[in-house]
Amino acid sequence: MTVLVGIGFTVPWVLLGLLTLPILWLILRAVPPAPIRRLFPAVTLLLGLKDDESVSDRTPWWLLLLRMLAAAAIIIGLAGPVLNPSRDETGSGPLLLVLDASWAGATRWSSTLDQIDAQLTEAGRAGRPVSILRLTEPEPPVFQAAEAWRGRLPGLTPMPWQPTEAQIPQTLAALEQVEDGFDTHWFSDQLAFEGHDRLVSALQGRGEVIVYQSTASATAILPATYQDGAIQLRVLRANPGPAESVTVLAQGRDPVGAMRVLQSTSLEFESGSTQAQIDLALPSELRARITRFELQGQRSAGAVTLTDDSLRRREVALIAGTLNREGLELLSPLHYLTQVLIPTADFVEGGLTEVLPANPDVIVLADVARLSDSEQAEVIEWVEQGGLLLRFAGPRMAASDLGRDEEDDLLPVRLRSGGRSVGGAMSWGEAKGLAPFSENSPFYGLTIPEDVTVTTQVMAQPDPNLADRVIASLSDGTPLVTRKPLGLGQVVLFHVTADAEWSSLPLSGLFVEMLDRLAVASAAKSRQEAQMQGTVWEPVQILDGFGTLTDAGTLAGVDGVELVSGQIGPDLRPGLYESGKQKLARNVLAEDAVLTPAVWPADVPIRGQDITTETPLAGLLLSLALVLLTIDVIASLALSGRLGLARAAAVMLGALLVVPDAQAQTPDDTDFALNATQELVLAHVLTGDAQVDDIALAGLRGLVQTLHYRTSVEPAEPIGVDLERDELAFFPLLYWPITTDQPQPSAEAYAKLNAYLRSGGMILFDTRDADIAGFGASSPNGRKLQQLAAPLNIPSLEPVPRDHVLTRAFYLLQDFPGRYSGTEVWVEAAPPNAEQIEGMPFRNLNDNVTPVVIGGNDWAGAWAVDRNGQSLLPVGRGYAGERQRELAHRFGVNLVMHVLTGNYKSDQVHVPALLDRLGQ
Amino acid sequence: MNAAQTLRERSEAEASRLPPLLARAEHLAGTVLLGDHGRRRSGLGDDFWQYRPAQIGDSRRMIDHRRSARGDQQFVREREWQIAQSIMLWVDQGASMRFASDKTLPTKIDRARLLGLATAILLVRGGERVGLTGTTLPPRRGNAQIIRLAQAWSEDAQTDYAPPEHRAMIPHARAVFISDFLGPLDEVELALTKAADRGVRGVLMQLLDPSEESFPYSGRTVFESVGGTARHETLKAADLRDRYLDRLARRKDALSHLCRATGWQMGLHHTGDSAQSALLWLYRALDGGAQ
Repeated sequence: MTVLVGIGFTVPWVLLGLLTLPILWLILRAVPPAPIRRLFPAVTLLLGLKDDESVSDRTPWWLLLLRMLAAAAIIIGLAGPVLNPSRDETGSGPLLLVLDASWAGATRWSSTLDQIDAQLTEAGRAGRPVSILRLTEPEPPVFQAAEAWRGRLPGLTPMPWQPTEAQIPQTLAALEQVEDGFDTHWFSDQLAFEGHDRLVSALQGRGEVIVYQSTASATAILPATYQDGAIQLRVLRANPGPAESVTVLAQGRDPVGAMRVLQSTSLEFESGSTQAQIDLALPSELRARITRFELQGQRSAGAVTLTDDSLRRREVALIAGTLNREGLELLSPLHYLTQVLIPTADFVEGGLTEVLPANPDVIVLADVARLSDSEQAEVIEWVEQGGLLLRFAGPRMAASDLGRDEEDDLLPVRLRSGGRSVGGAMSWGEAKGLAPFSENSPFYGLTIPEDVTVTTQVMAQPDPNLADRVIASLSDGTPLVTRKPLGLGQVVLFHVTADAEWSSLPLSGLFVEMLDRLAVASAAKSRQEAQMQGTVWEPVQILDGFGTLTDAGTLAGVDGVELVSGQIGPDLRPGLYESGKQKLARNVLAEDAVLTPAVWPADVPIRGQDITTETPLAGLLLSLALVLLTIDVIASLALSGRLGLARAAAVMLGALLVVPDAQAQTPDDTDFALNATQELVLAHVLTGDAQVDDIALAGLRGLVQTLHYRTSVEPAEPIGVDLERDELAFFPLLYWPITTDQPQPSAEAYAKLNAYLRSGGMILFDTRDADIAGFGASSPNGRKLQQLAAPLNIPSLEPVPRDHVLTRAFYLLQDFPGRYSGTEVWVEAAPPNAEQIEGMPFRNLNDNVTPVVIGGNDWAGAWAVDRNGQSLLPVGRGYAGERQRELAHRFGVNLVMHVLTGNYKSDQVHVPALLDRLGQ
Repeated sequence: MNAAQTLRERSEAEASRLPPLLARAEHLAGTVLLGDHGRRRSGLGDDFWQYRPAQIGDSRRMIDHRRSARGDQQFVREREWQIAQSIMLWVDQGASMRFASDKTLPTKIDRARLLGLATAILLVRGGERVGLTGTTLPPRRGNAQIIRLAQAWSEDAQTDYAPPEHRAMIPHARAVFISDFLGPLDEVELALTKAADRGVRGVLMQLLDPSEESFPYSGRTVFESVGGTARHETLKAADLRDRYLDRLARRKDALSHLCRATGWQMGLHHTGDSAQSALLWLYRALDGGAQ
């Protein structure tokens, strides 16, 4: 292909025809236009007059130009022009495609994959062996045929981290193993990372390196921090560009429990700055609900920041045994507690009976001995539901006989009467220090300052369970802090006072850390390594490269210090971690992170990542020529005074050129409703992908035929519905094929869909990809399905149990194949109390129709028939394939039967028993 | 469709054209004040002219007793001499007249008929006898004659450039010729000289389309007469304009020269102009000719 001015030509020699244009110009000028015939009675006066010159009037220049353009368009059109021709990178030898594959490129991942696909196609054409190397998950490159890689492309996903320091040597070592030289195409995510230059030079040593890098700046959000009563959000971008506005969405669960956007705010990047910042003041109720902040329109782990306890301010009720005496602030038993908690907690004021309905997270009882019976009962109930009751000893507690003979419910241990005091003026012995914390203690790992001493304490009775309940003790082994679980909550007793009278503990930093560990004070500041010493955190949910949270599964726990200070990588994944009652979010970016754009050596060519597809222009140019010639016809007619004819021609041409637009001729709502309701109609959701929609329609048509032949259900011709526009209530069953590029329905459409599901409708989701990646894990359609279905009210699901009514609504079926088979189909889970009754073959399951059926077997493909009733798509091979198609049809019949009859077939099971009872 | 039906249809169509033409002509004629042509001398008539003393030779019956009773002298009452004239019209029915250069303009034949008929209406109201030249419709009085005229003019001739009808001219009558006079000049000359020989004087009105006056054509053109008898092809119509206009001026000259020689009056009217001005001119010309 020859490329001229950015346009390639398949048959360039035809362009020589352009040389004839000047000749054509001259000829056209010389040939007179056709004479105009005019009626003119005074022609008698003209008879005998001779023309002075033999040259006639010339064709008007614009008509000539028009004809020239038409001729040129034909010539160029025939030369086969192609816009954006793929340039011949006729390299040879092995080709290594290096992908950063970090979160920064996740938003553009699909276009990157497209480009890689294009490169693979090209490499395949040139017969070059290819290998793909992901820097975030380096493996020794294996050079294979390009085709082999193409199949594996959808499995490549970006990772939620940058290439780590540990991975660079791995990568370099892996590259060392390759013996031959190779060229490198590097798909960069723009961001620099440690060891970037080493990698570049290593690759340059092996062959030519070309970098593909998008021009759009990578954007990321830093962890939200809480300062001065407001949430501080900071957004970074890699390149200081022009002023730009980004929207940050605060997502969380609403009171119903559904995820929704609780707040959205926009930040402005000033021109030339790389950071934007905003303070977001939210009511604490709302703030506590936020689970994540994300950048709108970005789909990467870097554009998401998870929140943990640090944003959540705990509500603490402080109740002291003695009333505050005015003016004696420092002597108040609550003074030190208040000082510790003010930065991180909200206080609930009032007496015990008043604060309990407010359901605080923590109730602190400082030297409160006795509670009334009703208070006691209420507090126990509150603790059992997950409250943390924190008690401090004191003179009153020591004096009372609380928990003396038998263990009080609200005390972890029995107490000896009187307590003891050591190291005072009137006692022997020295004030005691603290013993190191045991491994089982939540305080394990905290450093104990030397100067913390305890002079007085209440003593625990040595009960058999005492050892289990002690979480901190003095150097002589007597308990300092004891704890016992109670229901979902716990009761913790400090055997000293909350003020500095009995010990210097409240004066020390250890006190703060202890309260922190007990989750009384949540860490508003970022956690210090010291605080995390000795803790192990269990991952609960982790982020993938696209910023979606997935279950952590069986990932190992992470050491606390590593968690706060380690580099995010394969061993430390971003996500939510849990330790005891505390939650900690580890985000992709640390609070002090900076995005540094990658710097490339001057001799590395950098190409944009904008994928350009070849566009053949021949058709366009030839149509242009046709249009020009048509205009020429009309213009010539107009010039020769035959415009009447020209008008007729124009009308006819208009009629020919206007392409009938099926979408434009939509019937109004009433027609739609009539069509949908006059008979039973099955419907499929229009995805916007014409091929998928056609197959879905043909599939439903095939199902309708089957139903006609075999059952008394005789639906009319199926309909495709537009979720945005059409009413859904008319359809018992919606078939929804999933394509990766279908648009997300609007909020109104979701409202409609949820109303539809509530009112007994069923949606059959079909990812059509045979669920290659296991359910929902990483197949693109599966991900799309998750996105699409997230706002829907879908109950918990389970794979179709063997006794589900779908297995016997019409046919007896064991599995539900479509064009593919063997994958699991998911339906609404059975209620937990469903159990098999003796003598019944089936459990008594849900009373309703399952609102969704989810699978990936491409049922419509198996059902699809053309207008003549012939199957459109092949299923399997030979007889086995036909059998599979038959089973697919049977599944369809069962599904429609289930939709229309609910659990009627389930009830039929009871008929013998009923007949028996009736004595028949 | 059979012949009878076609004939019927055509006659209906023709008949339907009559009333509008008539109505328009009546309307046009209504704009001109009319009256008998007073001869400005005593004679037979209805209007009083003068009293004169009875002379010898006047019969007794002629004496106006009402005037004479005022004195001793006897008076005779004289009336103004009024006479009805015969006026013959010729409106060119040739195909060349069925031409209008623009849709907004009337065809020449339409305007010619309108003017002819309006003149006839005026003349009939004035008491004259109106008819066509030739033998088809001799001059008569009365409104029925108007209808007959309109009927006669509702038929188109097929030939281009119809020659003026000059047969059966009534001596000393008046005549009105309306045409574009683009046909052969000899025929016109013959008709006029013949009329002059018989003492017939009249008015010659040349009716032209504005495009015939300005020749706004250019480019390669084939000009054809309406009847298709004459055609002329040119490569550059614009170049012909001057020479054409020259020839047209010469034709007009020749016509007016002919008129002067025969004592006729010549007028020029364009279809783009108002018909009323043409009618007024015609009427004045006829009136003036009556002097």
